[in-house]
Amino acid sequence: MIASALVVVPLVAAILCVSATRLARPIAVVASLAVVALALAALISGAPTSASVAWAGPLHAGYSVAADGLTVIFLALGGVLFAIGAAASSRVGHRRAYFALWCLLIAAVDGVFVARDLALFFVFWEAMLIPLAILMWQWGGPDRRGATLRFLLYTMTGSAFLLAAIAALAASRGTLDLAELASRPVAASGQLLPAMLLLAAFVVKLPLFPFHAWLPRAYVAAPIPVALVLSGIVAKTAVYGIMRLCLGLFPDGMATAAPVLVALAAVGTLYGALLATRQDDLRRFIAFSSLSHLNLIGLALFAATATSLRGAVLASVSHGLVVAALFLLVAMLASRTSSFALSRAGGLAASTPVLAAFSTLAIVAAIGVPGTSGFAGEFTMLAGTFERFPAAASVATLVVILAAMYGLGMLRRAYHGPPLAAGVDLAWRERLLVIPLLVLVIAVGVVPRVVSDRIPDDTLPSVEVTR
Amino acid sequence: MTASDLLVALPVLVLAAGACLVLLGDLLVHADGRAWAWVGAAFALAAAVCTAIPAGADAAFAGSVRRDGASIFVAALVGATTAAALLLAVGYVRRMALPAAEVTALTLFSASGAVLMASAGDLLVVFIGLELLSLPLYALTGLMHAAPHADESALKYFLLGAAASAVFAYGIALVYAATGSISIGALGGISSPVGLAGIALLLAGLAFKAALVPFHFWAPDAYVSAPTPATAFMAVVAKLGAFSALLRVGAAITGPGAVAVDWRASVAVIAAVTLVLANLAALGQQSLKRLLAYSSIAHAGYIAVAASAGVVASAAIAFYLVVYAALTLGAFGIITLLENDDPRIDDLHGLARRRPLLVVALGVILLGLTGLPPTAGFLAKVYVFEAAMGAQLAWLVVLGVLASVVSAAYYLRVLFACLGEGEGEPARGPSVGGSVVVIAALAVLVLGIVPGPLLDAVQSVRF
Repeated sequence: MIASALVVVPLVAAILCVSATRLARPIAVVASLAVVALALAALISGAPTSASVAWAGPLHAGYSVAADGLTVIFLALGGVLFAIGAAASSRVGHRRAYFALWCLLIAAVDGVFVARDLALFFVFWEAMLIPLAILMWQWGGPDRRGATLRFLLYTMTGSAFLLAAIAALAASRGTLDLAELASRPVAASGQLLPAMLLLAAFVVKLPLFPFHAWLPRAYVAAPIPVALVLSGIVAKTAVYGIMRLCLGLFPDGMATAAPVLVALAAVGTLYGALLATRQDDLRRFIAFSSLSHLNLIGLALFAATATSLRGAVLASVSHGLVVAALFLLVAMLASRTSSFALSRAGGLAASTPVLAAFSTLAIVAAIGVPGTSGFAGEFTMLAGTFERFPAAASVATLVVILAAMYGLGMLRRAYHGPPLAAGVDLAWRERLLVIPLLVLVIAVGVVPRVVSDRIPDDTLPSVEVTR
Repeated sequence: MTASDLLVALPVLVLAAGACLVLLGDLLVHADGRAWAWVGAAFALAAAVCTAIPAGADAAFAGSVRRDGASIFVAALVGATTAAALLLAVGYVRRMALPAAEVTALTLFSASGAVLMASAGDLLVVFIGLELLSLPLYALTGLMHAAPHADESALKYFLLGAAASAVFAYGIALVYAATGSISIGALGGISSPVGLAGIALLLAGLAFKAALVPFHFWAPDAYVSAPTPATAFMAVVAKLGAFSALLRVGAAITGPGAVAVDWRASVAVIAAVTLVLANLAALGQQSLKRLLAYSSIAHAGYIAVAASAGVVASAAIAFYLVVYAALTLGAFGIITLLENDDPRIDDLHGLARRRPLLVVALGVILLGLTGLPPTAGFLAKVYVFEAAMGAQLAWLVVLGVLASVVSAAYYLRVLFACLGEGEGEPARGPSVGGSVVVIAALAVLVLGIVPGPLLDAVQSVRF
């Protein structure tokens, strides 16, 4: 019941948004918070959340949803980010359409996390694209047309392979239900191809190096709240997909490909961080720092030890919170300097101390300083990866140095040095958007167990592959 | 000829009777042109409804006409499509000053030919159905004298179509020479080179009607020149007739005990070529009608993907055809609502602001054509791909999904054009055609979410 409600509530909210111009934003915020509440209710009550209904039997597809510990973590993260993103969308035109699409996006993302049938998963997976694309196309910046088309074509090409894999599984296994597929495993020698077909969709959405060409353009062109959820939660659907589908259904195939994937992820981690040191546009700066973090998460996923997978979940939560805070703070900075260019800022700490303090905290978390959520995630991931791929883990550890370079460099150029720019400090309305995120960043950093203890072992894929 | 013979052929007879009645009525009664379109739509619906009447026999006229799940399905779908196309024509014929009775009668005759092709038990009846389907279409294509190149397109369509009919007839002759029979069932016993050549000619003639590459050259010109409701009609009904005959022939030559070579590999190759060429050609189009013409060729390619799995894919093909019919009627239906009959894609700028409901419907239809969830277009494609995967055609499925990505590029261009700023094309107010479009879009959406009943219904279809 709860699992279905997670999709239905945002859908109803979308309809309400269409009919109420003035209330559209509050409705979207409430719907997002309702998702958090429902996810936590599923976790605490322990009541059965699953539901199964016949849907398209001859296609071997059914409607099957459930919410377990892993799902709930991502759902709660998504709810928080969607609520803050909606609250931050204060000055948008065509409010009814914007917030209706926003609620549709919530429903689709929730659907991806609760689906327990491959065809249903794909339905929600593709359904995410439609509101995202229209939000970018209609409300984005100057480059929105090209950026949207590139984003769509990249992700749809990846999804095409996912669809081919689904058709192949339906034809050969006779079911698309995840539980039944797990009980009828494909022989170890035949797992590589379906694993790679599934993975194609996820490496584009994550994006794994070198499938990231859509990312900087999309982050720059999308409106800030959309970029926030695109990076904060939509990228995490790929993390979840790799965990639940690729590793869950085809552990042997993933193990075979792991050396190549781990190498790509390690390169991507350093590549993103290196490029982040060279950016002047603050949104591109976030884009490449995100690329670095997401590839590090990919590294932990492909290494697939019990520790590294826990670290990947933790880091996903952390990255979602941090990147959301960064996007908001960058937008606030830009509204004071009238530009996203780092070169147009400088010495802002003098006139906007609160903005500078918040930004410092967010950057420190992005670097992964102990006491913040970034440290908990990165450390667990690297420690777990080291068990199986010591060389790749050692190389990827260098990212800590690069992250300090780009993070502190950005802080120095924007907030310190000669005062090139000045502005009024954060209003309370702006502070209230960022404070919950920063509180969560510290909370998860100090007590990472609030997240990692919520991941029951049986929801992690069984990864103890003998090799 | 007995009463049960007539009952078996009832849908064909109702459609043909409707056509004759409209032609005669137009001579005797001076009614408003639009009335004839309504009358025609009523007959088409009646033909669809009367498929539900039990006939008491599976075959009639000594086995020349049969009645089974597939023929009932085609008759129902042709009837419904024809009715919808005629309703689209209600406002259109008046605006374009077209002879309404002629349009209606030609459409009904053509529809009866398509049903006859699907119900045929022997090759001569297939041929009669083919001609009955085609000849009115040539006339419909040339009806818009005012449109540029209408005469040229009609002539091109006629000449190529006549050549295809001749090829088909020659195929019948060769098959008859090889087996001494014109029954479709006799095709299974063919092993001689003459007979095989005959089968190849039969398939080529039908591939022409289905507008599969490389037999598609007539289609874009004919689709652009024909009156738009007639374009919607021929894009659906001609394919229905052609594919059902193609699958009947295919079923015979791969049936139990058949010794003829496997035809499926050649269909797979044709499907692959069609998917690639049609989607690439659609990318560069500026005219919306021409873009949809190439898109309909591409969709024939997807049906051929399922057909290359053989007749086991009948249910998948039937499901795809229903969805394709709704999508095509909706897409061309939207053009009938615009002032300009051959709009460029840029002309759609600003449509979202002036007609938001229409653009939502167009959006659903374009998502369906792309094959994106939650529309029925997605399920139809999945069904087709699963069928092909079941026949070990993984390469064709991968090609098909990639072709869908290419198709997304041009469908989304249309959708985004509607969202763009600008004055562009004025659209007409609410009308009968508008309701047809909205119903088609709703059907695509509802079938995507609740596909159960239709999926159950198509399980009985076996060509």
